[in-house]
Amino acid sequence: MRERPAVEIEFLKKRYGKFVALDGVALSVPRGTVFGLLGPNGAGKSTLVKSLLTIIRPTECRGSLLDKSIGDRKTLARVGYLPEHARFPDYLTGREVIRYSAGLAGVPGRIAKERAEALVGTVGMGDWGDKKVGTYSKGMKQRIGLAQALVNEPEIVFLDEPTDGVDPEGRIEIRKLIEAMREQGRTVFVNSHLLGEVEQVADEVAILSRGKVIRSGKVRDLTAGSRMFEIRSLGPVPPEIRGKLETAGLEVAGDRITVPAADAGEVQGVIDALRAAGVVIRELKEVRQSLEELFLSAVSSARQEGGKP
Amino acid sequence: MRAALAILWDSFRLLQARKLFWFALGISVLVALFYASIGFNAKGMTLFFGAKTMENPLLQEGKPEAAAFYVMIFTDVIVKLWLAWVAVVLALLSTASIFPDFISEGSIGIALSKPVGRLRLFLLKYFGGLMFVALQVTVFTTIVFVALGMRVGEWNLTVFWAVPVITFVFSLLYCMAVWIGIWTRSTLFALLGAFMMWGTALLVQWGEEGLYEISHFNPEAGVTVDFRSGTRSEGESREKDPEMVAMHRNIERAVLPLPKTRDATNYLKRLVRMKERDSLLSGVTLDDLLKGELPDPKKAAAMKRLENRHSAAYVFGTSALFEVVILSLAAWIFCRRDY
Repeated sequence: MRERPAVEIEFLKKRYGKFVALDGVALSVPRGTVFGLLGPNGAGKSTLVKSLLTIIRPTECRGSLLDKSIGDRKTLARVGYLPEHARFPDYLTGREVIRYSAGLAGVPGRIAKERAEALVGTVGMGDWGDKKVGTYSKGMKQRIGLAQALVNEPEIVFLDEPTDGVDPEGRIEIRKLIEAMREQGRTVFVNSHLLGEVEQVADEVAILSRGKVIRSGKVRDLTAGSRMFEIRSLGPVPPEIRGKLETAGLEVAGDRITVPAADAGEVQGVIDALRAAGVVIRELKEVRQSLEELFLSAVSSARQEGGKP
Repeated sequence: MRAALAILWDSFRLLQARKLFWFALGISVLVALFYASIGFNAKGMTLFFGAKTMENPLLQEGKPEAAAFYVMIFTDVIVKLWLAWVAVVLALLSTASIFPDFISEGSIGIALSKPVGRLRLFLLKYFGGLMFVALQVTVFTTIVFVALGMRVGEWNLTVFWAVPVITFVFSLLYCMAVWIGIWTRSTLFALLGAFMMWGTALLVQWGEEGLYEISHFNPEAGVTVDFRSGTRSEGESREKDPEMVAMHRNIERAVLPLPKTRDATNYLKRLVRMKERDSLLSGVTLDDLLKGELPDPKKAAAMKRLENRHSAAYVFGTSALFEVVILSLAAWIFCRRDY
């Protein structure tokens, strides 16, 4: 039997007075994957996650989280969460923050102590675990935040802008931690506006704009939809062949010819035509649209459809 | 249960981290030690563990008046001035920020994303805040209990009534700070709201007590006050002025919905019981004992009626009702809000 998704939102709406923050969102997050929710500021990413975690009360919501209705409080014992701009009590040490979170999640004291011990090491805070959070840098707080999100050994972890304020080295470590969570079989739901990072780690993404999901699917499928090949010639493409290529709908710029094609077979005819015209080919490569390009075009299209520039 | 322990433990750690907590505790211990230094010998009362003697015909070693006086210092002076005033102010200053900090962005999300109901979370956090006063008063009262046992030979467990009573008095103000703190998310407004409520309640309670004295106590005790010269004279009991009695009844009604912080503190004197004082020294004040004279029975009876004019249901019941209403409003906002 096929495993049910970790998150399955059939319909999610959140309205603040006249402002609609989430406008009937529907999405599905497969178990054991890293899912990236992308969107510009104010798109509703945090609102969506908070709605799933009962931090916000949705106006209308149908769907399931870990096979239970969204909003079921007991299910939250199987969930981990690192909020955006996470704030922990300054008077607690890193280890105490993790144990406090464990206590709230109902983890027995002895087990919480053992896990806190292991997790401070996992997030690279072993030497700082007994120091007060008030003395931590932003990156250190994020690491402790990750550790507290994992202390109840959750089946799904929600990370809202996990690399916000973290230095490049820290970002790489957080990415590795996310990959490790996936290897452990956890589902990771990442909210981020840092597309490059999500692209490196996410299996699936959804793009949210103005409270609506405008694109969603596997990263590979979404970027493959606009796959191209790029041919570089030795010197500029001669005008006579350039005219023919442009007439055929190809883009030619100097020594570069861009061929929209799903596979290499479709490019062979162009290569033959170039060689027949005596053009020396010095490079042929497959070009995929990056997630950033996909995101920008999707958001731009959505804005145009919405009637704003 | 684990979640409850985690929240209460976090509250305890928060209090430990507050300098004011240790400052207040330090002064509490000093005040309690000063109390313990008071003793009695054959001549009168001694201070600073016998370093200074104040002669008094009533307050002498072995006399029931001395024991009653020793308890009265606790119920009439220390509780009223230190525990119910200064310690409560320090506690409010320390705890007013608990809820505004707790519901701030990035902090509340972690707690709400756990399998703990919002109402439970709210109540646990609220009770955690009350620990500030409960711990202070427990330490203080323990020293007083030991001092009382050693000085007058009476191991009087009723002094521990101070712990729930003073914590209750604090909770009447703290609930106001919690409500406004949750509503406005501002520590400053929370403090202002609590102090304004306290001030209003005190003014009305003072007014009620003043009117009781004029309308009931003075006629019963035969006391006449000349308001122009400010002199008091004592004579025979006289008829009560019906207008003043009606006026007192009206102000008593006005006090009804308010928290009775002062009345609750005063009620402690009725809860801390001593066999000798309750039988022989009923209605005798601290001033009487310090002067070394006992009042006439008529005045003592009137004083006793003044002290006992309000029932426990009136003092604690109506105050608790106030607290329930305010806490319900706070809990409603806390539970309904999107964070």
